[in-house]
Amino acid sequence: MKKQMLSMTVNGDEVDLAVVPHATLLEVLRLDLGLLGVKEGCSEGVCGACTVLMNGDPIRACLTPALEADGTEILTIEGMASGGKLHPVQQAFVQGGAIQCGFCTPGMILSTKSLLDRNPRPTDEEIKTALAGNFCRCTGYAKILHAVRVAAEGGSANVGVNRKE
Amino acid sequence: MRLPQFDYHAPETLEKALKLKGELGAAAPILAGGTDLIVNLRHRLLSPAVVISLKNINEIRGIEIKPDALVIRAGTSLAETAGNAAVREHLPILIRAIESLGATGIQHYRGTIGGNLCLTPRCLFYNQSHFWRTGKGICRRTGGPECLALEGSVSCQSVCSGDTVPVFVALSAQLTIAGLGGTRTVPAAKFYTGKGESPFNMAPEEILTEIRVPIPWGPLSWSYQRISIRSAVDFPLINAACTAILDKETIGSFRLVVSAAGPAPVILREAETAFRGKKPEPEMVRMAGEMGMKAVEGISVENASASKAYRVKMAGVVARRAVLEALKLS
Repeated sequence: MKKQMLSMTVNGDEVDLAVVPHATLLEVLRLDLGLLGVKEGCSEGVCGACTVLMNGDPIRACLTPALEADGTEILTIEGMASGGKLHPVQQAFVQGGAIQCGFCTPGMILSTKSLLDRNPRPTDEEIKTALAGNFCRCTGYAKILHAVRVAAEGGSANVGVNRKE
Repeated sequence: MRLPQFDYHAPETLEKALKLKGELGAAAPILAGGTDLIVNLRHRLLSPAVVISLKNINEIRGIEIKPDALVIRAGTSLAETAGNAAVREHLPILIRAIESLGATGIQHYRGTIGGNLCLTPRCLFYNQSHFWRTGKGICRRTGGPECLALEGSVSCQSVCSGDTVPVFVALSAQLTIAGLGGTRTVPAAKFYTGKGESPFNMAPEEILTEIRVPIPWGPLSWSYQRISIRSAVDFPLINAACTAILDKETIGSFRLVVSAAGPAPVILREAETAFRGKKPEPEMVRMAGEMGMKAVEGISVENASASKAYRVKMAGVVARRAVLEALKLS
């Protein structure tokens, strides 16, 4: 199978790769670029574990042929922290106890970032709508939603979830 | 698991895409957002030699406002369509349908209007992995001996599942289909053949390029209703779109469409005839429910995540809710 050239920016770095036409973005990010934070959950686009941002928009890496990313900017979870510091969304998740096994977390955080970049003060309904395509089997979502609210309010330090809530 | 092998072309013009389509036809499906195609490829429901991406064809994206119509190019993303000011002003029913569709992270940025209209019709026995289907049996549409949903059926009964389908039909939209020889126009209502195995009035060499929606001649009363298992992610088990223009409290124009029942949407013509020219009244809600149930009883089979009986009953519910909301009878 003849490979084709793929040029894209991943987490700020320019990447040039030869890929087979039927490679998905998920495969290329994980196997060619070693970005294991992009997870394969269902391979059908339903679960959201493979969520990455393409030009700021949340997409399913498992359903996107890699060549579709040519000329685009891709952000994975590995690109969220900067200068050794966690992004405020990551910080809110960590401090809010919104992470159990962590498998859904990259997708949740990227979907959250995309939401807050677009809509800095979302209502609870808007948060749920934005994250409706990200499934979590561990947490029951409550702390995730709370972490998003906290991140939206600009809080990252001294975040605690009131256990009596 | 990996996708089956295919060649990937991303031509820069519609003309180049049509040339490829002209040569290869069904062996070269269109890749718009890929949120339907790629899933079906992974399930080995088709093994095309080539995939033609719309990625570089700028002329297939965008929304144009003409004096009497909104022209939505087929490759426009669902998010762009829902965010468009002219769509918000003239076609809020379309925004409701897009918001109800799937989930933000799945289709809204990659998925396209054309892709939703041309969604491969769905069936419990078809939309399964290759592994599942070799266990249960290969259905007629995929080359097996018989339809697994309806015994003895010689036609595929799969379900037209696009949320925007009944909306465009209710808005009397016109679809532009392009081929190498030129373009032709098909009313949305006539785009669906009712045959699951060849669901669209479109040849394998053709590409859907535009959806032209006439701007309603008066203030649009509308409703989009759907029933699904979850509030997001899931395809509709049944849906309905109702559009009406009230002229001095009388129903000037009216259309009620029920979809996600069989391979094609159903216009409830009886309702149109019965309601036009009259003042909205509660009796219409009950009548719409009866008509919806009757129509769906005739075209639905046991091929969805809910039983036929449930979907028939819900057809009544969505038809009633749609009329209730559109005619402001609540």
